[in-house]
Amino acid sequence: MAIRPSSPSRTATSRTKTSRTAATRAGLAISGLTLTALILSGCAPAADNGGSSDPVAGGTLTYATGDAEPTCLDPHVGGNYPQALVATQYLESLVSLDASGAVIPWLATEWSEAEDGLSWDFTLRDNVTFTDGEPLNAAAVQANVAHVQDPATGSSTGYLALGKVTGVEAVSDTVVRFTLSAPDSALLESLSQPWVAMQSPAALERAKEVNCESPVGTGPFVVTEWDRQNSITLERNDDYTSPPADAADGDGPYLDSIVWRFVPDSATRYAALASGEVDVIDNAQPDALVAADDDDSLEELDAPRPGASNRLELNSGIAPFNDVAVREAFIRAANVNDGITSLFFGTAERSYSALSSVEPLGVSDPDLFDFDLEKSNELLDAAGWTERDADGYRVKDGERLTVTFPVSTNQSIPAEQSLFEQIQATTKEAGFDVVLEPGDLSTWYATLAANEYNVVSAPYTKVGPDVLRILYHSDGITPAPSGYFANLAQVNLPELDTLLTEASEVSDAEQRSQLYADAQQIVLDGFYILPLYDQQNHYLYNTAVEGLRAMPTVSTPTLAEAWLDR
Amino acid sequence: MTIVAASRVSPRRGGTGVRWLIGRLGGLLFVLWAAATLTFFALRLIPGDPAEALLGGPGSQASDEALAAAREEYGLNQPLWMQYLAQMGRYLLLDFGTSYSLREPVSSVIAEQFPGTLLLASLALALAWVLAITVAVWSARSGRIAGALGSALEVVAVALPHFWLATSLVLLFSTTLGWLPPISGRSPSGLVLPVITLAIPLAGFLGQVMRESLLNALSSPFAQSARTRGETATGVIWRHGLRHAALPAIGLSGWAFGTLVSGAVVVETVFARPGLGRTLLSAVQARDIPLVTGTVLVVALAYSLVTTLTDVLDRIADPRLRTEANA
Repeated sequence: MAIRPSSPSRTATSRTKTSRTAATRAGLAISGLTLTALILSGCAPAADNGGSSDPVAGGTLTYATGDAEPTCLDPHVGGNYPQALVATQYLESLVSLDASGAVIPWLATEWSEAEDGLSWDFTLRDNVTFTDGEPLNAAAVQANVAHVQDPATGSSTGYLALGKVTGVEAVSDTVVRFTLSAPDSALLESLSQPWVAMQSPAALERAKEVNCESPVGTGPFVVTEWDRQNSITLERNDDYTSPPADAADGDGPYLDSIVWRFVPDSATRYAALASGEVDVIDNAQPDALVAADDDDSLEELDAPRPGASNRLELNSGIAPFNDVAVREAFIRAANVNDGITSLFFGTAERSYSALSSVEPLGVSDPDLFDFDLEKSNELLDAAGWTERDADGYRVKDGERLTVTFPVSTNQSIPAEQSLFEQIQATTKEAGFDVVLEPGDLSTWYATLAANEYNVVSAPYTKVGPDVLRILYHSDGITPAPSGYFANLAQVNLPELDTLLTEASEVSDAEQRSQLYADAQQIVLDGFYILPLYDQQNHYLYNTAVEGLRAMPTVSTPTLAEAWLDR
Repeated sequence: MTIVAASRVSPRRGGTGVRWLIGRLGGLLFVLWAAATLTFFALRLIPGDPAEALLGGPGSQASDEALAAAREEYGLNQPLWMQYLAQMGRYLLLDFGTSYSLREPVSSVIAEQFPGTLLLASLALALAWVLAITVAVWSARSGRIAGALGSALEVVAVALPHFWLATSLVLLFSTTLGWLPPISGRSPSGLVLPVITLAIPLAGFLGQVMRESLLNALSSPFAQSARTRGETATGVIWRHGLRHAALPAIGLSGWAFGTLVSGAVVVETVFARPGLGRTLLSAVQARDIPLVTGTVLVVALAYSLVTTLTDVLDRIADPRLRTEANA
């Protein structure tokens, strides 16, 4: 496939050895080398640079994850990224995406939407069985949707993904019909996510604790042991028959087993990879990526997560950011680019979009985010913030221009926390008093739920542009029963709501694309957000590992086609 | 040092060993109750909703029904004081409850993770003693310069943060030399670096205490008289000086055990070693009250037992205490 520089790609990029150092030394080199890498990886489905012979079966691959240890291995329960990472190895979904973002067959071979958009028929693949011997059929799909929608399961991500699904019926043994409360243009994208992957109906019948420890799917591997805080052991599914449509030809899975280790410290994770103790690591930090560039035995897989970009949300619901001029002034005063360059060593590319660069419908508008201190000062003067106090902060009616910024130390990596400090320092020049409030995840969510924040960075992973509806529809200002609400910028615009609702229901692709483009432009023009970069998702692996790739759905790594060349 | 003195005094005033033991037991129960109570209320006062731990962690977008079901199941819809009383009641029946986030009985989580941490802490304590004695004896025997050097070493060791030390040891022994694995896991070779990390700062602390009293002892009249009786320099140090010098260090070992458990939180995380420290860290972040409280109780119990043990050892090492207490 050909990838033009302007077209976004879901293909994970395998960087060449020289790319990082070259990029840090000369900014100009970045675009050229990245383009080369994009084209290279676009040609080879496996993210490897070729040169290797036929796949060899056997061996144990050790994977070290820096994500939290899941509390339940069934991603229907709760539903977070750590669960998705490991579940990709043993669970499969009805559909998947290819590198261009198009929906492709997986456990379902074909599907059709009814004329009124209120029902969908899915034809299931023949002769697929779960690893406990249960058949994958219409009844199994029914049982899975019921499981996700059962309050006792405690599903949150999967539950939201199936929000419009009101019923599932078996048309025949292999045809299953979803009925919806309203047309859902995001249904296929939602179903491609691991949080609604298919599990054996017999296994789902077991007690929750049991299914959490040993979920049963149709995937290339089977969970055999979970040694808490240490590792999960997965063995090959010898009867595996159901790779997604974009999988490489071959008779994988090749690996005998996977040891999935929990290594929370990033320096230790990298040391273990460099010493050969583990074969693949995730959450590779900027310093590790730079070090890996100089190590011939290591390769990188860069797979930004889909959904939203990492961005600062400016709370337009309360002062001072209820004034668009103050929002623009803040954004103009934040020197983001220099911070990213110095703190991420060229491992992260600046984003100017609400959406991840892997989302084909993302709209970028760099001009809106130029660093311009003079403009910022003019805007604040005009907005009535004319005086400054002894510390240099602007004051209006005796109130200081204070901006409260809660930071989740669980979600923001050290480089990102430093970037926030740089934003604090540069916006101070314009007279903003940014108060950074680091806290753990629980504290952070509680601060948001109490509406005691002016700026916040909250990652959101979801397949497809429907994430815009979750983040910027005014419905998202109403907190969920847990206090959680997704519209943290508190954007409340009826015309935006209309666009997003329409986009979520329209089935014409062109129309959908236009509606989402218009919606994004409103969000960007209104200075509600300050995009930073894609949700960083870098993997490093030993060159002995072949055939590793990231799923084009939620960018989790799949070892289905991986083998060891040692 | 006042703590040591106080705990040494009490048995004398308490009279018989039985009464002393009853006093200790009462003190132990009080400590456990206070630890459980403080933990319970501290966790409910900091922001965060424990019901979310049940539904996939903080930031859960769980539905109303799911939240209500979770609160009902674990009694979180009850008033706070009722939850507290219910929890204390369960503790009286030795029922530690079920972890919200892990969906496992707290007792089995602790039974699984505590032995690893106990082994880690015990080995670190033992190594710290060996290091402290070695440096103290060496510097006491080798003159003024050695003394200054030993003292400097101890000051540096005390000041080293676990986190920094752990990362440096990984860099040196795993990345550069390739001798030891950076990931500890459950392997014996993986124990080496975590044990050294915990032992070095503690050795510095014990060494400071020990060397000072060793020097005091060596210049005191009983050491002088031993020398005049013809005892060798080695004999004076090992038979007379060290016994004297060990007393404050023994007393501090109870306290040291407490710091080792808190150090385990860092060390187990850096070396990816399963254990109670990591359990505690993730449980606090998830506001998993039963698991946090259960862990704190076990650590408090272990701490109290070690303190009692050091008091007993104190009596053995110090003949003055033994004769008076047994009289």
